[in-house]
Amino acid sequence: MAKIAPILYGDRRVYTVSAFNRGVAGYLGKLPAVWVEGEVTELRRNEAWATVFLTLKDPATGACLKVTIARRTYDRLDLGLAEGETVHVAGRAELYELKGELGLRATTIERVGLGDHLLALERRKRALAAEGLFATERKRPLPRLPRAVGILTGADAAARGDLVATIGARFPLTKVVVCEARVQGKGAPEAIVSALRALARHPEVDVVVLARGGGSFEDLLPFSDESVVRAVAACPVPVVSAVGHEQDTPLCDLAADVRAATPTAAGTLVVPVLGELEAGLEASRRRLALAVRRLLDRDRVRLERLGERLRAAPRLLLERRRAALDRAAARLQALSPHATLERGYAIVRSGGEALRAAAAAAPGDALEIELAAGSLGATVDEVRP
Amino acid sequence: MTEERSFEELQAELEQIVTRLERGDVPVDEAIGLFRRGEELYRACAERLEAAELRVEELTSRDSD
Repeated sequence: MAKIAPILYGDRRVYTVSAFNRGVAGYLGKLPAVWVEGEVTELRRNEAWATVFLTLKDPATGACLKVTIARRTYDRLDLGLAEGETVHVAGRAELYELKGELGLRATTIERVGLGDHLLALERRKRALAAEGLFATERKRPLPRLPRAVGILTGADAAARGDLVATIGARFPLTKVVVCEARVQGKGAPEAIVSALRALARHPEVDVVVLARGGGSFEDLLPFSDESVVRAVAACPVPVVSAVGHEQDTPLCDLAADVRAATPTAAGTLVVPVLGELEAGLEASRRRLALAVRRLLDRDRVRLERLGERLRAAPRLLLERRRAALDRAAARLQALSPHATLERGYAIVRSGGEALRAAAAAAPGDALEIELAAGSLGATVDEVRP
Repeated sequence: MTEERSFEELQAELEQIVTRLERGDVPVDEAIGLFRRGEELYRACAERLEAAELRVEELTSRDSD
């Protein structure tokens, strides 16, 4: 640091204002970093400025301290500070040399009293969970193809834009019903509840998406409000919650049927990809045609086989009958007496009766002897019984 | 009588007739009657099958855009 040199008027050392301020600034810069508590007033943030300005006020005495913080640092904290809030600011004393104003160059800001909020939230979460509002059994599946998607959003162009764009890209025919509501600050819970009811009443809305981009803990508090959580749980159509960032878990996330990390993720959850659906449908149709053809082919083969068997059956049956008949004829033939006569036997009749015993005839009886060819007339000479 | 019955019923009857004829314990006079009935059933089944095949062709070729 350049030495701050006085101007000498005789033996009087005189400093210019700039030199004085620079000198004091140098001393202040050696002070340690500290935490300062106060109420936020005169908060000024402008996109065009690299620095965010605010004034910390001591509520007890009205003492004020100007605070500056780099806009990038401030934005990254994502506090959504409002005037009148109590904060802790970490930083070092600094002097705005041009004005000779004392200030605090902040490195970070923390909201005071967040602990109470968190505690209340945790209590509410446990109470609602005990009631079963977050139970897995309560979760409903999302409709495969909603007629219309209801979107509940704040004046949050990005979240809404992402969601609508995703839905449009996946399933262009889906109708989107947007309901804008006040989603942060005073009256937000009531606004969210009534918007949710309005969307659910819409005759075509089959699923509702709560789309809210990231925000500070406080900004997201309405989505943990008991009335909102209950309204989400009681919503007649399934609800997808896309509120805040991944690390935030507002209670409505737990009550919703499905939680989405981002509005884009919510979009992919609520509608299928039209092309995939069409391809699936086309594949089903091909399989359907193939299946019915296979069925008919099977029937055709069976029928043809039956037809062949039918046509073959009568001939087989008749052949078998013919064979049986021939066998019967042969047996008949075998039993005929004529065949016996052929072998040299004769039939001897007396008075027309075939003789079976010698005793049945007496000497002198006339006999008729039948041979295979012709017959003989004879007389009994002697009986030898 | 063949009309109001299903294809499966007709085919089942045909199957029965063929089995009986093949078993061969049918009186000859009855066998002729059975064979005639079998032919009738076969034709009825074949017609139904053809009609079904035609209808499937029609349906699958329609608006296959």
